[in-house]
Amino acid sequence: MTIFRRLLLRLGTSLIVLIGVSMLIFSIARVIPGDPARIALGPRATIEQVEQMREALHLNEPLVVQYGLFMRDLAKGDLGISLYSKRPVMTDLAEYLPATLELVLLAGLMMVVFGLPLGALSARYRGRWPDHLIRVFSLLTVSAPAFVWAVALVLVFAYFLPLFPITGRIADTLDIPRLTGFMLIDTLAAGRLDGFVSALHHLILPAFALALSGIGQASRLTRGNMIVTYEQPSIEMAQAYGFSEARIARRYAFKPSLIPSLTIIGLDFAALLGNAFLVEIIFAWPGLSRYGVGVILQKDLNAIVGTVLIISATFLIANIIVDFLVSVINPRIRLSEGGK
Amino acid sequence: MSAPLTLEIQDLRLSFKSWSGTTEVLHGIDLSVASGERVALVGESGSGKSVTSRIVLGTMQDVRSARVSGRINFDGRDLSSMTVAERRALRGRDISMIFQDPTSALNPVFRIGALFHEVLQRRDRRITKAEARRRAVKLLQEVSIEDADRVLDSYSFQLSGGMNQRVMIAMALINEPRLLLADEPGTALDVTVQAQSLELMRNMVDRLGTSVLFISHNLGVVREFADRIYVIYRGNIVERGPTASIFDSPKHPYTKALLSAIPRLTGGGVPEIEEHSPAFSDPLVTHNMTHDNMTHGSGR
Ligand SMILES: Nc1ncnc2c1ncn2[C@@H]1O[C@H](COP(=O)(O)OP(=O)(O)OP(=O)(O)O)[C@@H](O)[C@H]1O
Ligand SMILES: [Mg+2]
Repeated sequence: MTIFRRLLLRLGTSLIVLIGVSMLIFSIARVIPGDPARIALGPRATIEQVEQMREALHLNEPLVVQYGLFMRDLAKGDLGISLYSKRPVMTDLAEYLPATLELVLLAGLMMVVFGLPLGALSARYRGRWPDHLIRVFSLLTVSAPAFVWAVALVLVFAYFLPLFPITGRIADTLDIPRLTGFMLIDTLAAGRLDGFVSALHHLILPAFALALSGIGQASRLTRGNMIVTYEQPSIEMAQAYGFSEARIARRYAFKPSLIPSLTIIGLDFAALLGNAFLVEIIFAWPGLSRYGVGVILQKDLNAIVGTVLIISATFLIANIIVDFLVSVINPRIRLSEGGK
Repeated sequence: MSAPLTLEIQDLRLSFKSWSGTTEVLHGIDLSVASGERVALVGESGSGKSVTSRIVLGTMQDVRSARVSGRINFDGRDLSSMTVAERRALRGRDISMIFQDPTSALNPVFRIGALFHEVLQRRDRRITKAEARRRAVKLLQEVSIEDADRVLDSYSFQLSGGMNQRVMIAMALINEPRLLLADEPGTALDVTVQAQSLELMRNMVDRLGTSVLFISHNLGVVREFADRIYVIYRGNIVERGPTASIFDSPKHPYTKALLSAIPRLTGGGVPEIEEHSPAFSDPLVTHNMTHDNMTHGSGR
C-alpha cells in the first residue's frame, strides 16, 4: 500500500526527469550543425529533394512545434523513422537494447557477486595477506577504464589463450528464433542448451571487462564500510556473546555495511550503460551503444533522441530498483518512509 | 570469605606492543568476585577498567598487540590456559556483558526478537523462534517492560535509550550466566533512567544469584549496588574493601578525591593528585596489601 505509493511517486518524478531529458536532447540534436536531410540523402541529391525531406521531417517548423509533434507521436509509441536504418526507431531499439541490457545486467551481477565478497574478505582479514592481495587487485582494476580491460582480456583470453570467442553473441552455426532478444532467454525458450552455453560463452568476457572496475570499486567500498562497522559497539557486543567470527562478519559487519555499499554500487551500475559503448565496439557486440554511435555520426535525429531516452529510462529504472533493494535491507528507511 | 569464588584474578598484567615500544597499562592487579557477590571496580578514565573486563571476557587475549599475564580463574577454571574456542564458549553462556551505550550496542539491522533468539541459541542451539520469544517476553516483563511484544518486533533505533538498556539487561541475563560484567552501564543515559535500570538489574541478579563485576568512574553510582569496591588508579588497585568502609573511612588519597567528586555529577572530574607519588608507580604485587604502605602517598 505505502510501498505502492512510494513507487508511484518515484515513477512520477522519473517521468518528469525523462521529459526534461527529452527536451534537452531534442534541442541539442537540432542545434548542432549539419543538415540531417542532406546527410541522409547524400551529396548528389538535388536541393528540391532535400527540401522535400526537410518538409516531411518538419525541420522547417519552429523548435517548439517540432517538439510538440514529437511528443504527440511518442504518446502513440512512435519515435519516428531512423534515417540511418530506414526503419522505425522503436524497431531498432527493440532489436539492440536487449543485447546491451544482457551485457550490462550480467556485468552488474558480477559486480555484486564478486565485489561484495572480496571486500568482505578483505575487511575480515584486514592487514593480512588476503587483504593485501585483494586491495592490490581492486586498486588495479579501478585505475583503468573498462575498454582497457576489454582490450587486455581479449588479448589474453581470446588471442593468446583461445578460451573465449572474440566477437558476436552466439556461434554463427546456431540459429535461434528471436523471442525477447535476450540470448540467454531465447536459447532456453527454444530448448537449445547448446545455444545457451554458447551465448553464455560469448557473454562472459565482455561482461567481465565491463564489470572489472566496478568489482574493484564495490570491493573497496565494502571493505571500507565494513571496517567502519567493525568499530561499532554492536560488534563488541556480538563478541561478548561469543558468536563465531563468521557469524559476526556476516550478520554484524557485512549486513549493516551493505546499506551504504549498495547505494553506491547502484549508481556504478547505472554508469555501466555508458561504459558499455567502447566495450561493445571492441567485442563487436550488436548492442545499443554501437547503434548510438552510428546514428550520432549520421545526425539521425529521431534515432538519437530515441536512444538517449531509452538509456535515461533504463538508468532511472535501475536507480529505482536499487533504492528499493536498499530500503528492504535498511529498516531505518523502510520504517520511516514506509509508514507505521 | 566463605563463598566459592566465581572470579579470581592474581597479578594481572597487560601491556600493548606498538612501533614505539611496549606500554604496560595493568601493573599486577588482584581482584576476586565471590559467588553471588556484587563487586565494583572504580577509577577514572584510562585507569584500566575496561581492559580488565575485556580480559575476563577473554576478548583482550585475541588482540594481537596485547600481552596478558597473570592468573585468571573463572569458576575454578584457568582462563589463561584455555584456547580461543574454549574462551569463546564461555561467553554468552557463563559470562555476559552489559555495555555503556545500549542503543549503539544493539545490532541496528535486526529486530530485538531476532537478537534474543540469537543469544538464546548460545545456550540451546535448537531453540525455536516461538520458544525464544516466549522466554524473551518473560524476561522483558521482569525488567518492567509491559508491551514486550511490541519491543520484540522493534529495532533498537525505534526504542528509547532506557528501553534499550532494559532490553540489554534482559539479554545479558537470559542465559543465566555465572558472571555479569557491566562496563559503565547506562552512562550514556540520563541520571534517573540510569538509576531505574540499575535497580532493575539489581533485582534480577539478586533473583538469579549472578556474580557481578560492575565498572564505573563514579563512586556514587556504585554505592547502592556493590557489596565491595576496588579502586583502580593507573593500572593499580589502590584501595579495596566493603562499600560501607570505603565510604566511611577511605584510606587512599585517590579514593578521597573520588569521593569528593561525587556531588558534582558531571564535569570537573577528579582533582589531580601528585604525579610522582612512589606509591602509584610501584606495582602492587601482593594480594595482602595493607593500607599502611599507602600512607606515604604525598596526597595525604
Ligand atoms: N587496544 C589498545 N591498544 C593500546 N592501548 C590500549 C588499548 N586499549 C586500551 N588501551 C590503553 O589502556 C589504558 C586503559 O584503557 P581502558 O579502556 O581500560 O580505560 P578505562 O578505565 O575503561 O577508561 P574509561 O573510563 O575512559 O572507559 C588506556 O591508557 C588506553 O589508552
Ligand atoms: Mg572504559
